[in-house]
Amino acid sequence: MRRRIVLLAAGLLAAGVVTGCGIPEATEVQVDGPGPVAEAGSVNGQGLEPPKRASAGSALQLMTNFLAAAAGEPDQAYARVKEYLAENVRGQLPEKQGSEVVINVVRLKKELNPTPVQGGEAKRFAIDVDQVGVLRADGTLGPPVATESRYEFLVGPVESGRLDNLFVLNAPKGLLLSVDALRTYYQPHTIYFWNTKQTALVPDQRYLPVAVPVGRRATEVVGWLIDGPSEWLAPTVARLPDRTELIGTVPKTDGRLEINLSGPTEEPAQLDRLATQLAWSLPDVDGQLELKIRNQTRKMIDDTDVYLKEHPVYQLGGPPQRYVVYNGAVHLLKPAVPGAGVPIFPRHNQNVVAAAISGTDQNALVAVVGSEGRRQVLRTFVGPPSIAAGSTSRASFTSIKRPVWLRSADPDRPVGLVVADGALYRFGADAQLDPVNTNVAGRVAAVAVALDGHRIAFIAGGKLYVAAVTVEEGTVTVHPPRRVHTSRTALSAVDWTGEHDLVVAGSTGQPQIYEITVDSTRETALKTDVGEVAVSSLAAYPDNPVVPGGSAPPMYETNGVAFGDLNSSDSIGPDDVAEVESPAGRVNPVAPFYRF
Amino acid sequence: MTSPEPPAPGTIAARSRAAARELARAVVGRFQGLAVALHQTWRRSLQIRVVTITLVASSLLVGGFAYLVADKITNILLANARTDVRLRLDSGRDYTAKQMAIYTEPQEAGLDDTLLNTVDYLAGGDPAQISGVVVGLRADRSSGVIEPQTSPDLNVSAVLTPELRAEVSSGKIARQIRTGDVGAGRTKYLVYGSPVPTRVGQVELYYLVPLTRQEQTAAEARATVLATGAALVLLLGLLAALVTRLVVSPVRAAARTAQRLSAGLLDQRMTVNGEDDLALLAASFNQMATNLQRQILRLEEMSRLQRRFTSDVSHELRTPLTTVRMAADLIFTEREGFDPAVARSAELLQAELDRFEELLTDLLEISRFDAGFAMLDAEPTDLVPVVHRVADRLRSLADRIGVPLELDVPDAPVIAEVDPRRVERILRNLVGNAVEHGEGRPVRVSLGLDDTAVAITVRDHGIGLKPGEEKLVFNRFWRADPSRARQTGGTGLGLSISLEDARLHGGWLEAWGAPGQGAQFRLTLPARAGDRLTTSPLRLVPADAALPFTGPRDGGPLAIGPAEGGVLAVGPGPTGPGPAPAGAGHRGAHERAV
Repeated sequence: MRRRIVLLAAGLLAAGVVTGCGIPEATEVQVDGPGPVAEAGSVNGQGLEPPKRASAGSALQLMTNFLAAAAGEPDQAYARVKEYLAENVRGQLPEKQGSEVVINVVRLKKELNPTPVQGGEAKRFAIDVDQVGVLRADGTLGPPVATESRYEFLVGPVESGRLDNLFVLNAPKGLLLSVDALRTYYQPHTIYFWNTKQTALVPDQRYLPVAVPVGRRATEVVGWLIDGPSEWLAPTVARLPDRTELIGTVPKTDGRLEINLSGPTEEPAQLDRLATQLAWSLPDVDGQLELKIRNQTRKMIDDTDVYLKEHPVYQLGGPPQRYVVYNGAVHLLKPAVPGAGVPIFPRHNQNVVAAAISGTDQNALVAVVGSEGRRQVLRTFVGPPSIAAGSTSRASFTSIKRPVWLRSADPDRPVGLVVADGALYRFGADAQLDPVNTNVAGRVAAVAVALDGHRIAFIAGGKLYVAAVTVEEGTVTVHPPRRVHTSRTALSAVDWTGEHDLVVAGSTGQPQIYEITVDSTRETALKTDVGEVAVSSLAAYPDNPVVPGGSAPPMYETNGVAFGDLNSSDSIGPDDVAEVESPAGRVNPVAPFYRF
Repeated sequence: MTSPEPPAPGTIAARSRAAARELARAVVGRFQGLAVALHQTWRRSLQIRVVTITLVASSLLVGGFAYLVADKITNILLANARTDVRLRLDSGRDYTAKQMAIYTEPQEAGLDDTLLNTVDYLAGGDPAQISGVVVGLRADRSSGVIEPQTSPDLNVSAVLTPELRAEVSSGKIARQIRTGDVGAGRTKYLVYGSPVPTRVGQVELYYLVPLTRQEQTAAEARATVLATGAALVLLLGLLAALVTRLVVSPVRAAARTAQRLSAGLLDQRMTVNGEDDLALLAASFNQMATNLQRQILRLEEMSRLQRRFTSDVSHELRTPLTTVRMAADLIFTEREGFDPAVARSAELLQAELDRFEELLTDLLEISRFDAGFAMLDAEPTDLVPVVHRVADRLRSLADRIGVPLELDVPDAPVIAEVDPRRVERILRNLVGNAVEHGEGRPVRVSLGLDDTAVAITVRDHGIGLKPGEEKLVFNRFWRADPSRARQTGGTGLGLSISLEDARLHGGWLEAWGAPGQGAQFRLTLPARAGDRLTTSPLRLVPADAALPFTGPRDGGPLAIGPAEGGVLAVGPGPTGPGPAPAGAGHRGAHERAV
């Protein structure tokens, strides 16, 4: 008996060993302890959303709101617009999803003016518009696609008598957004892409809905960078390396932005460029910026402000310096920036009609339009003034406009653009002019180069265009230009006043100088009283994040007189010219320009 | 011709039941037989006992140890997994909180994408490369605004229990082990959950980590421990068997030697190997055997010398006795010429010389038996004339004493292979004793036979024997009452010689007696010389003897007969009408066989 018990115990024990000490099939819930609790922190409130339909008190208000309803986060745009539509027509609005969402941005030609419909409570709105562009989900405002110049809407109650409950009674074909609403509910934001040679950053303007909370904006911006540049800039800039993806979001913790990317970027130089691009592109960067590649911290920027100063988006020499052609020679305009000079040998500085200077004094690029009798030629002086022998174009022209240097060119092979006898030419250090195809027909009236050197603005056939350019082996290629829709006519001169702004001389029946954005969303008159004669040249120092150009207003010349300030009617006189000991009679300084 | 009827279902059932019972019985029987065999083996083999006990004890010990080790290993593995998952959970929670920090409203665009990306990231990114870890984010308190996300996209409801979700959504970090199928077969998961506070409300992060590797490791460790344990137990068993064998073999040899010694093979010795305890045992054993042998030989020698002495004395006395006899005979014959007192002395001398001669004869006979010189001269003999002859020779003595001598002898010859001289001597002795102690009452001599044996009983009705005296009567020179005067010239050696004679035949000589009831002696001899006796044709206890308890018992008469080793046995008698009458012995041996 005893033996049996022992055997039984042994058997049970063996069975216990085999089965008992394994990992159990299932256990009860075991609580480790309390989890973290939400810290009371500042809540970045929701951004500004367009008003809801119900908030409109009148048909006019409703219509105004309706033209803003699409603003905001793209994936909710249709829902917001449909909310304005009467139930029975909601289905007629063709809906698109995700990146397909496009909003037609229109500029109203006139104030909204409702007209009553006969025999009904509804009001009719006939809206004449200019198509400004299409706003896509990635914040780009591209050239317009829709061609309608007039929209008609009926606004009224669905139930009779409920004048406090109005709806839009007919559905548009797509989403509409007025330029005013764009300005109100979107915030322009510049992101940067490296050019194809990875030597300079090219700005790209986006529109960020203000509805996006502040905390999420960085995430959106990184998403844009990954998605690539705007269409018209695509030929001249490089996308982020292939397979670059954002891992997670871009959180900002304790003032540190953390960007985690997947991608093949491991090379330090490439990482540096990526960091610079991000630092310049991201909004609200003020503290640390941590760049992770596949979860590994690859780049840590401790102070973004310092970093941005050390890595300027544009290589600019110094404060803007104004020049003027006086008495056939290039001169500094007062006040002269300390250390600035005219990097051209005095014996070459003769018979000058117009000039362009770029680079430093030690390695200057100088192009001057010289007069030889009734003809004009282009001369270039490259290198330190003491050794620059100068070259002269073989061909001569009746009229050569002020030349511009392309900052994007290889420093060893400088390239400039110049308009001569109504055509666009490129020139190099040898001063020989080669025609450049602008892709549009018509006489070229003026050309201007943006600070980055990859975008030009030109007036051809009386229309204003912007285009991306690439310089390859000294050859300039102008990519398909983008028309800038302007309400002015008789355009005569153009220059860049900002990264996305142009100053243009045109006419609304009377010559005037106005500013327009490259996407045509904003058109502002700067000076309406420029006289009766068209402005022959405009020179501006583009406002930029590196060197604030507030003290460098646009200069213009009209009727042989140069003006240095749009807000003043005083012209630039001989007294303003620096280092001139004996003013040569009543000769006016002409062809003012900035050095950059 | 009719086809055979199919058997009724009841019959089949009954048959199958019977067959099952039969089978069960057979199995039980087999097992019982096995158990009995095992039990016998257990009782008989010290080695088996020691090995079994060692195996059981070491199994228990090793089993307990193995359990502890395996349990420890499993616990360590689990604890490691827990720590690991907890670390991942904590860092995953921080990551999730950071990722969610940019959202302020549950309805915000991209929140679902972020959740999905977060679980994808936490699960290792590429769903094809992950090692079975499932990461899930839920918002059980957000009332359905935020969709639960898991990566890989599996239905984890089998292992993510509502209880765990309730604990975690109430703000606790909790864990659970569950086994279930979430798409990759049945797997054991460690499910760990933690709340993640965010500005859009609390979300819950769950890690479902498969414990397959831990389980494999634990199983391997368990197998290793078990294998080691089993090997250890086997080794211990072998060791025990070996050690026991080392000890038991000499003990067995000692037992064998002792058995042989006890059987009389006094020169048997154990082999002494080495100088250990067992060698000491063997040496001591041998010493003991030697001493015993010496003692026995000495005693034998002494006994032999004694017998020789008796024989020599008897022989040596015979020669002077013959001379004395001759002189005494002369004196006896001339006694009339002496004065009466001398004549009386001569008579006395003559009588005592007769007794002396008898004594010497008996002594010589005894010494012959003792020396082993007695030879059986067996021949087929009819015992009836032998009985008659003895009776005739003693009738004169009986008549003188007044004892009637009755014979109960079959008419037909009773043939047996015996030595008639010895049988006659036995009978003479028995009848002489019976007459001598007959107290004047009849002495009855009965002869019986069966297929294998012949028996002669001599019954007297004298004072009988006291209990225990049945054996003593056969001792040499034994007397029931030493003070009693001899009436006849017995030497005190008669019954001893008779017993030796009976033994020489391979027969029995037994006595029964009870105080006041007389005595009965029975001689049983095999019908053929050399046969072994099993029963006797006649009863030792006479039928008229009063039983030691009062009254007749129910259920028929009892038979009392000899059992093995010469003891009496009382058992149920042959069924028949009443107790056998006094003359039952006449009816022949075949009726009285027990």
